[in-house]
Amino acid sequence: MEQIVATLTNVLILSSMYILVALGFAFLFNILGIINLAHGAIYMVGGYFGLALIRLLGLNPWAALVLTGLSIATVGLFLERFCFRPFSGDFNRTVMICVVITVVLQTAVNIIAGTQILSLPPFVEGIFKIGPVSVSYERIVTFALGITLLVAIIWFVHRTKWGQQMRAISQNREGALLQGINVHYISALACFIGCGLAAIAGCLMGAYLGLGPFMGDFMLVKVLMIVILAGIGTISGIFIAGLILGALDSILPLFISGAPSDASVIAIVVVLLLIRPQGFFGHEA
Amino acid sequence: MKRDKKVPSATALSSHIEKRIWEKAALYTGVVIIVALLPVFLRSIYVMHVLILTFIYVVAAVSLRTITISGQFPLAHAGFMGIGAYCAGMTSKWLGWPPWITIPTAGLVTMGIGMLMGYPFSRLRALYYAMGSLFFGIGVMQIIQAGGIWTGGYSGLIGISPLFPVTTAKIYYYYFFLGLTLVSIVALYRFEFCRIGMNLKAIAQSHLVASSVGINESWYRILVVGVGCFFVGMAGAGYAHYNQVLSPASFNFLATLWLVMYVLIGGIGSFAGPIIGTFILILIPEFFRDLRMYSPFISAAILGIVVYLMPQGLASIPQLVRTRVTERRNGKR
Amino acid sequence: MLLEVRGLTKFFGGLAAVHELDMHIDTGEIVGLIGPNGAGKTTFFNLITGVMRASKGKVIFEGEEISEKKSHQVAELGIARTFQLNPLFGDFTVLQNVSASFHLHPRSRLWDIYFNTVVYRRNEAYILEHALEILHLVGLENVKDELAKNLPHGYQKMLGIARALAIRPRLLLLDEPIAGMSSDEIDFILTAIQKIHQQGVTLLVVEHNMRILDLCERVLVISFGRKIAEGSPKEVRKNKEVIEAYFGDAYVA
Repeated sequence: MEQIVATLTNVLILSSMYILVALGFAFLFNILGIINLAHGAIYMVGGYFGLALIRLLGLNPWAALVLTGLSIATVGLFLERFCFRPFSGDFNRTVMICVVITVVLQTAVNIIAGTQILSLPPFVEGIFKIGPVSVSYERIVTFALGITLLVAIIWFVHRTKWGQQMRAISQNREGALLQGINVHYISALACFIGCGLAAIAGCLMGAYLGLGPFMGDFMLVKVLMIVILAGIGTISGIFIAGLILGALDSILPLFISGAPSDASVIAIVVVLLLIRPQGFFGHEA
Repeated sequence: MKRDKKVPSATALSSHIEKRIWEKAALYTGVVIIVALLPVFLRSIYVMHVLILTFIYVVAAVSLRTITISGQFPLAHAGFMGIGAYCAGMTSKWLGWPPWITIPTAGLVTMGIGMLMGYPFSRLRALYYAMGSLFFGIGVMQIIQAGGIWTGGYSGLIGISPLFPVTTAKIYYYYFFLGLTLVSIVALYRFEFCRIGMNLKAIAQSHLVASSVGINESWYRILVVGVGCFFVGMAGAGYAHYNQVLSPASFNFLATLWLVMYVLIGGIGSFAGPIIGTFILILIPEFFRDLRMYSPFISAAILGIVVYLMPQGLASIPQLVRTRVTERRNGKR
Repeated sequence: MLLEVRGLTKFFGGLAAVHELDMHIDTGEIVGLIGPNGAGKTTFFNLITGVMRASKGKVIFEGEEISEKKSHQVAELGIARTFQLNPLFGDFTVLQNVSASFHLHPRSRLWDIYFNTVVYRRNEAYILEHALEILHLVGLENVKDELAKNLPHGYQKMLGIARALAIRPRLLLLDEPIAGMSSDEIDFILTAIQKIHQQGVTLLVVEHNMRILDLCERVLVISFGRKIAEGSPKEVRKNKEVIEAYFGDAYVA
């Protein structure tokens, strides 16, 4: 019973975190038209930044979380203006600049923080008990936070004017421009949100699983899997793919231990990708 | 409207272009001779070691660029290098095959897996193809990592047999890899500048038109991925035998990014681009050896300069200079 | 019959861009296909040349059904086409555009190409010679070393036709060859088309411009994906439905 609850929480938390980061990535992909190779690095920097705020400035974890989210989101604004916008449409240069960002961020983190695993202190102490079942408050809070953000994003995309404009741009960029949508403004907004989400997820995962020098790569692989399986232009697809991936990552290790379980998940996704390279829920590439 | 610079044609030669080709050939022969004679003048084992690695990565970079001729940008290339490396490593270690068998086999296996990926991916358009191949490359390496004893898992594969008997001097390795690299470069060059390459470039420019003149788009896309993978697989195999130890971390996502950097810095539009890019990005940090930890910043800085100021890469410098000079000359009239 | 089309239909969602189209072309004809914008003419071409798959119906070329064939296979069989928006190999020179299009005839094998054998060199020389011939036919031999994307619009269109000729087609589909051209250019192209026809190529020409009609022996008119008239240019010009389709029913005399 213990096992089931633990696995279930794991599924929910992993899924929500994956979806948060994948959504940010998908925003950038659909609205700015870039494959943000640096997204994993931004996620990682978010985690380490949060840690730095807590350790060096003595902020409490909640404040650090909010501040990290806002700071990295602001960095996202700069990235959009100076790194992504000048090269929009030029695939080669976009790849180049993402490589620059990734290398700079990863090297900086490696130098400053070294290579051991660090971890963020928990946000909430204590354990919650119902009968034989106990879950740490931390996990509940993490999941709640994740869900809240996701719901907020869905509301934003489907109910606000800006979200509508985002959807317009992702479907037809030129058409959106012709309709008078300020694509630059919306792109900046998308980048703000995308990077902010990644950073917050970085902090939350940093508390949940710890911070390590490879967490960016780890997350980028997950995000790619989700976005590819989902397909272009679909948000619900990302939710579904993220849930499936979170479930696989939580359940499979119970049966296969160690590296082969990671590999099996990847093998499954590779096969799915070869069957339907354009994704399962989106419109055609 | 700014006129673009003329492209040397594959089939029609005017005497002006012929002269340029002779100039270029002379330049390249000169460079090759210098490189070949280096170990004679610099009797440093360390320099030879660095150059050997450079040669291996040059082949990987050039083969990556060859694939991009067709308009596909595969972000899986380090993964394929890893496939070749592990193939050679495992057949050498577990089956005891000698290097002259393991290296071509690794090339063929990598080619096969590359074409396996190429087949469904050939229908995808640029951005989505890049993303899919990125995932494929990372994914394949993760699968290899999970191979337990057979592949050595996270810690890596050790005990691969060397190319030559243990007591051989480094200089033999140097010339071996120089030779292999030159052969690969020539092979890839011919591939690009014969009609096959022309058809690939046609597909990249307009797949509609290319199909309408009878060029089988899918087939060619898969072909070029196969050829590119063949060579990078052999490069990986060479690396395996040279290093005698393999670690999956050498072929991860960051490794692909580096390869991509080599190509883009040198210039994706020119054949010599990736060669220049590889040399610069490997050799320049060597000058800052004491600041080893910070050398990625230097490379990133170089890449940053290139992306903002000369997006066609460093290989385009002569052309940029030429354009500036003619502009100034015309402005003076 | 060189080309026969039976019941050709293409649905985009609920809209039939081409609806139950029947037509045929005999060897040696010049047939015109006219109709207002959006009538489905380019879709029709796309269906014949394998760029799109038909929802229903058959396309039969020289007795062989080609409805399921891909574009490059259709080209192999001898059907060439130009495109309305005229994409080209922009970074190639004019000469390279045409010589690249000689992919099919003669067809060198990979081995020969890669190892630069005598066969390959002979083929390439042949290609060069004939590419220059075609450029001469369409009047582009003076700009043969210019980059295609730097050419003015009219030249680009001619290049499109030159490219299509390189595959030695038996049937040539021209999609609005004189759209956007000046009067002189139109004369030139019409003469070129006649020369091509004299060399034994069957032509199907899509156009808005009525001047093309004078060239054609037979004209088909389509509107909203359906054939509404067929006959000689004179007959079609007087046809009530045609006039209505183009000008609205106020003009039907």
